[in-house]
Amino acid sequence: MKSEIGKLYIELNEEFNFYAPIKVKGNLEFKKILNPDDIVLDYYNSKVPPKEILFPKTDILFEYKTDGKNVTEIIERTDLDEKNIIFGIRPCDAHSFVILETFFAFGDVEDEIFLKKRANSLIIGIGCNTPRSTCFCTSIEGHPFMKDDMDIFLVDLGEKYLVEGISEKGKELMSRLKWLSDADRKDIKKARELYEQAEHSIETKLDLKDINKILDPHFEHPIWAEISDICIGCGTCSFLCPTCTCFDVIDEMDQYHNKGRRFRIWDTCQFCLYTLHTSGHNPRDSCIERCRNRILHKFCYYPENYNMLGCVGCGRCIQLCPVNNDLRVIIEKLNSIKTKKEEKVSA
Amino acid sequence: MVTELKQEETLKDIWEPKILAFLCNWCSYAGADLAGVSRIQYPPTIRVVRVPCSGRVSPYFIIKGLLDGWDGIIVSGCHPGDCHYLTGNLVARRRFAILKELLEFFGIEPGRVNFMWASAAEGERFANLIKKATEIVKKLGPNKKFESKW
Amino acid sequence: MVISVSIESENRDIENSMKETARALLKEKKVDVIIGYSKGTVPLSSAPILIRNVDEVERLVWNNLCYINLAKYLVPRIPQLIDPEKGDLNVGIITKGCVGRALIHLRTENQINLENVIMIGIPCNGIINRKKIEKEIGENEILELFTSGNEIIVKGKDFEKKFSFEDYVNELCKVCKIKAPPKIKELQGSYVGECQEVSSIDDNFEDLTEFESKPTVEKWNYIKDTLQTCTRCYACREACPMCYCKLCFVDQNKPIWFQKTTEISDIISFHLVRAMHLAGRCVACGACSSVCPVGIDLNLINRKLEKIVKERFDFTSGIDASKMPPMMEYSMDDAEEFMLEED
Repeated sequence: MKSEIGKLYIELNEEFNFYAPIKVKGNLEFKKILNPDDIVLDYYNSKVPPKEILFPKTDILFEYKTDGKNVTEIIERTDLDEKNIIFGIRPCDAHSFVILETFFAFGDVEDEIFLKKRANSLIIGIGCNTPRSTCFCTSIEGHPFMKDDMDIFLVDLGEKYLVEGISEKGKELMSRLKWLSDADRKDIKKARELYEQAEHSIETKLDLKDINKILDPHFEHPIWAEISDICIGCGTCSFLCPTCTCFDVIDEMDQYHNKGRRFRIWDTCQFCLYTLHTSGHNPRDSCIERCRNRILHKFCYYPENYNMLGCVGCGRCIQLCPVNNDLRVIIEKLNSIKTKKEEKVSA
Repeated sequence: MVTELKQEETLKDIWEPKILAFLCNWCSYAGADLAGVSRIQYPPTIRVVRVPCSGRVSPYFIIKGLLDGWDGIIVSGCHPGDCHYLTGNLVARRRFAILKELLEFFGIEPGRVNFMWASAAEGERFANLIKKATEIVKKLGPNKKFESKW
Repeated sequence: MVISVSIESENRDIENSMKETARALLKEKKVDVIIGYSKGTVPLSSAPILIRNVDEVERLVWNNLCYINLAKYLVPRIPQLIDPEKGDLNVGIITKGCVGRALIHLRTENQINLENVIMIGIPCNGIINRKKIEKEIGENEILELFTSGNEIIVKGKDFEKKFSFEDYVNELCKVCKIKAPPKIKELQGSYVGECQEVSSIDDNFEDLTEFESKPTVEKWNYIKDTLQTCTRCYACREACPMCYCKLCFVDQNKPIWFQKTTEISDIISFHLVRAMHLAGRCVACGACSSVCPVGIDLNLINRKLEKIVKERFDFTSGIDASKMPPMMEYSMDDAEEFMLEED
């Protein structure tokens, strides 16, 4: 029953850090819950993506003490072994964790902070009964009811939730919740109906098949100037994208108290300083190159390096771009290069 | 019992504000020097930074000072018309006017940041103004607004 | 602000005359490209657009969601407005009052040459505060927004709500006195369409008296409360036509003056210093608040900036190209009532 969310919270709150969507100054964000009455579950999707839980806007890497001249002590993070529950996440955002993990675990140096937190997090997701008009998860091989990336999957049946354990961790947690009742055939049938209804209600469909094959050879195509003419380089799309991972590392020293800390903050390739070399040369000097870089990163470099699209189809960038530089329009324009080429060949 | 209470009282009285003072080299710093040489007493709450002119003082210094936890900030320069660089203090005066109004608007107590003119011959005036500023800041209490930074 | 005519018929008139002017300018080759607004692909937004020939003029729109300040695309000039051989293209720009103010102020600061810019003036009737409406609607998806009579109608899948236009325009638009671009003597030939002769503004800043009468602690709490959700995305800085510095003060690292984290002290210091940098330069267009992804309303701070320079120096940015902005000048007679004096 929906009213039993409070029970779930009380039972799990002792052992886990319970994260769920709440309203902060009118915006829906995922934050640690102190009062289960604050949880909002009647929503489309959060404004700030849940990557914030595992990869916060401001993340302290370590703290240190000095004696005035040299560093005397380094204090590492102690909270990485805490267990987390991320409740109420959507399938697109759950999939974004997979993409984020690919980034943070790539190569020889793995990001300990992110990966430890991820390993200690249990994801309880809810399927989208009513996707937004700007959602397009089905175009990136996702689905509003996709449960593969979750530990426990919930379906909103109206009065109650249908609970399904997906992973071993999830099934184990479910067995602990003795007050869950068994689902009957009606419930499962309703869930199936909602599944199909949700799939049909997705209006936005992008043709992303082989998009990387169009993008790769057309790096210098004049269409990029057209696509980026109104972009102001503000960074909203990257900051609120569930898969964007760029960060800056900054040291801060408190000389009066002989201590300091190193932290990382969100950064974006859309800032003009992002690729500024110390020589003064900037390979991405204008919005044209920077806008192009973002599209290529999500739709060309990710498929080529990691064999998956770097976009989850949540639609936040479409809704929140201040100049309405719509990704759907951009993809359409890029696809039209292909058709123009085919026309040329056939003519 | 009585001795314990007494200790609490004196501890509270002991807090002295720490005030960051930017003094222009030609007038105010010399004025402070004169106050010292003439043995004029004033509260030892200021920590002096010597700048060539009050016009050198950027709003960044003042805001960073508040962020670092200084209880009060004083900027002191030559009287208008007497600036060693002719117009530096006039530039500063406009800057400070806007900064003061903006700080008050943001909810930072108006008494924390003070501006004054003191010439090289005005040792006594310098001491009086520092005394006044210290009293104002003392009444406001310690600056805890930006505690998260430290 | 009294609304006497229906908003959408006003918009229609403005849009039609704007399109006519645009067509004429392109036909007579007085401009190579026109920057204006087009209909957004999601409700509650509009997209700036570059128009290069007469057929495309149909895509221009005027509605109360045209919140971007188009002067941003001219300083620095985006590469799409520069021809590799001819140099700077002749640009026509759809100019509401605040966009005109921005262009004139940028000229005063020597950042733009308005010789090849033609301002297509329109009398703006206010920009809807889209974040306020979004917050009222809550978690329902808005599928359509339009004006009818004196009201804003918002429609979703299973709801329809009405809002009073007067109450739901931007705070800055509520007290705006410069709806059409100000005309200055030095640029006689640069205006088509509507413009207005403005020499000085009468403004008593009543909207600020309530906030300014609050005790200091309440002001601080209000500011902290409003700014706490800031994500430091700098959309406000990028949307502002006056923020054209090559190296913004937050990006400076020799030395690092103010940190870039999302801790409340850093957030407040960023907005405080940015306000300081905009004193006497802000043209009150409200783009900063409209583009903020988390809906922070910076209008209160912007109004205070206008009040400070108006009361102290009798200056309003962007209406008189011969008057120096207050931070670029000084005078022996400046008021110094705020200075510390002996008893």
